[in-house]
Amino acid sequence: MPTKNSIPRHAPLALAAVLSVVALTACSADAGAQSQGDAASGDYDGEELNLLLNASHEGAGEWLAEEYEAETGVQINVTTVPYDEIASQLTLDQQSGANTYDVSAPWYVSLGDLAADGSIAPLTDYVESTPEIDVEDFIPSIWEPYALVDEEIYGLPFDGDIHALFYNEEILERNGFQEPPATWDEYAEQVSTITENEGGDGVYGAAVFGEQSPMILGASFANRLAGFGGDFLDGEGRPVINSQEAVQSLEALEDVWEDALPTPAETDFGAGNSAWFAGNVGFIENWTDLGVRSQDPESGSEVADGWGVTYLPRAEEGERPRASLVAGFSWVVAGNTDKSDLAQQFITWAASAEVNAELLTALPPTGIDPNRVTSLEDETYSEDFPQLQEVNESTLDGALAWPTGENATEAAQVLTDEIAAHLSEQRDSAQETLDTVQSEWERLLVD
Amino acid sequence: MSTDQRERTRIPPAAASPPQPEASPDAAPTSRRRRTERFHHRLFVTPSVLVLLVLALYPLLFIAAAALSRSSLGQPFQEFTGLQNLRAAAGDPAVQDSMLLGTSYGLGVAAVSTVLGTATAVALWRSVSSGAVLRTLLLLPMIVPPVIVGILFSFIFSPSGGLIDTLLRQFTSFSGSFAVLSDPSWAIIGVAVADVWEWTPLVVLLVFTALLGQDPEILEAAQLDGAQPVQQFLHVTLPTIAGTVAAAFLIRLILAFKVFDLVYVMTSGGPGSSTQVPAYLIWRAALQNFDVGMAAAITLVLAVVVTLVTLPIFYLTKRLRDD
Repeated sequence: MPTKNSIPRHAPLALAAVLSVVALTACSADAGAQSQGDAASGDYDGEELNLLLNASHEGAGEWLAEEYEAETGVQINVTTVPYDEIASQLTLDQQSGANTYDVSAPWYVSLGDLAADGSIAPLTDYVESTPEIDVEDFIPSIWEPYALVDEEIYGLPFDGDIHALFYNEEILERNGFQEPPATWDEYAEQVSTITENEGGDGVYGAAVFGEQSPMILGASFANRLAGFGGDFLDGEGRPVINSQEAVQSLEALEDVWEDALPTPAETDFGAGNSAWFAGNVGFIENWTDLGVRSQDPESGSEVADGWGVTYLPRAEEGERPRASLVAGFSWVVAGNTDKSDLAQQFITWAASAEVNAELLTALPPTGIDPNRVTSLEDETYSEDFPQLQEVNESTLDGALAWPTGENATEAAQVLTDEIAAHLSEQRDSAQETLDTVQSEWERLLVD
Repeated sequence: MSTDQRERTRIPPAAASPPQPEASPDAAPTSRRRRTERFHHRLFVTPSVLVLLVLALYPLLFIAAAALSRSSLGQPFQEFTGLQNLRAAAGDPAVQDSMLLGTSYGLGVAAVSTVLGTATAVALWRSVSSGAVLRTLLLLPMIVPPVIVGILFSFIFSPSGGLIDTLLRQFTSFSGSFAVLSDPSWAIIGVAVADVWEWTPLVVLLVFTALLGQDPEILEAAQLDGAQPVQQFLHVTLPTIAGTVAAAFLIRLILAFKVFDLVYVMTSGGPGSSTQVPAYLIWRAALQNFDVGMAAAITLVLAVVVTLVTLPIFYLTKRLRDD
């Protein structure tokens, strides 16, 4: 008879069995997470992959889902949310333990915060061991901000997203302008003239995106900052947001505020684009894919064949055009996904030059801009949209990118809030406004 | 005189307090019985206490712990930081402005809702026999989701063809654009109008119920004594419903302090910071900036402000109900 404190004879056996089961379960789970296969050869046929995308990428998501399923047999389920909620949705999904999403495409500015939270997986080893990704082919000025957090790779560029200046040829002609503006001063003058002449009839000089969001009002400011030759950070990564060029940029935005489509503080993508498609504004700064949509008979555009596109204005005539990477998106793999191998293969395919080139000219329009040199020079794109291709070539050299890394999202929001406060006359001067931003950015991005 | 008072006055003093047990030789079994009864009471109360602990205490502890630590959205409680977040939140001019804005907004919206709601409830009560459909219709705004209310009022205030814009152009010589939601002074009033429209029916419902609970005999007596309608309302009806009106004001104030959805949909906190109410600031800190520690600290500051603002109203409500 065993004593009270003695260990039963079968206990070690039971313990061994339990440990074996635990070990086997762990191995099995581990094998699931690390298993390798080739999606293109059908190794993942019948599996599912869940994507979290920006709502404006819904068309691109559908296109990608259809093509990838046809090529690999993998079912792609696309969920879309507003552009400024992707990062929080992705993080909350994992923090809650739901782990619904395997792949996402957030705004590149949020990569640092997502990486710091472990919400996205590092891809350095994978990218370095996968030559078909062809990193060298990504547009160089896009690669660094869209892919890197410090020295680690966390994303692959998906949607280049630069703004260009679209103009309504008829409105310009009616108001005596033969050419679109080359400088921000000329732009302000043309906008003012059009509004003065036709504002009473509901036609305004420009739709200025002014809703208080980094990707809307922040983008309008960034366009001017690029044109005036300014930067968000200096070569050492220190904020220079209160520079002379930044002050000029804010003042240039202020110059057109009163003459823009009423009212700029409430003008978001929907309001601005509707006015453009209806032929009610002379200018709109927008992503280059607006050209594809302006020509699309299904989009209800009334400006088809009546529009032009050019580089964003500069400080002085004859200066080299400079792109502003206002709202690009990167492919990322969710930190907690157990389908990392398939997710990595999917983003490799989705970020490839062939897929990007197809998305550029697909109908209905997908809202995607070039991310690679090869797709930028694609023959079909060049034939169908030569003006857009020309404008997009400005990304090849010295484009302006938002700060990235930890706290970059908050930094973008701080700038946007202060600009909005200045434009609604809650601040004394452009310089003081940007001095406030500078001090906040030093706290967020340097300290 | 309130219903509670009437109920209380019917209770004879002797019945109000239980008879005192006399000392007897059976004291030990009595004591044992009491212990058993106490045990049973505790046993039955335990589930409720546990539920309260889980539902109320745990979130409070979580907020406090987050406020005292470096916490991000994906990785809460990374490092204990003491009072750093609380000091930063309390000293941040944006938080201070937001608290001031939230308090003024809450008091203003609650006052307007209470006055309008009480007036509407009295009007409905006067027409109690004929207003069933109207009463139901008046409650509709409360049923409409706040997001829809926000979108609806954004359309009403739109400077390009919105209701206000159309009326101004149609009936006045106004030719410019009047953009309520992009004007720093008017934007918060625009949000408040939507808020009042949505939640005033709650006040109507509460006050109307209190009015129905009035003793008609007292009103009849006042009428027989020659009291005019205004005098009846001021000296009979109003004292009867005062406690409920104060309670409705309190509920409305707390709801107004928590406003988020309308601001999110209608102004996104702008223009500038003119509609950055505390709940919006907290949302932004947690879900846009990923700083859950700061969001929790602002929440605690808000809790202090709400407590300070509502405590006097709590006392007033209690006093009016007791009177």
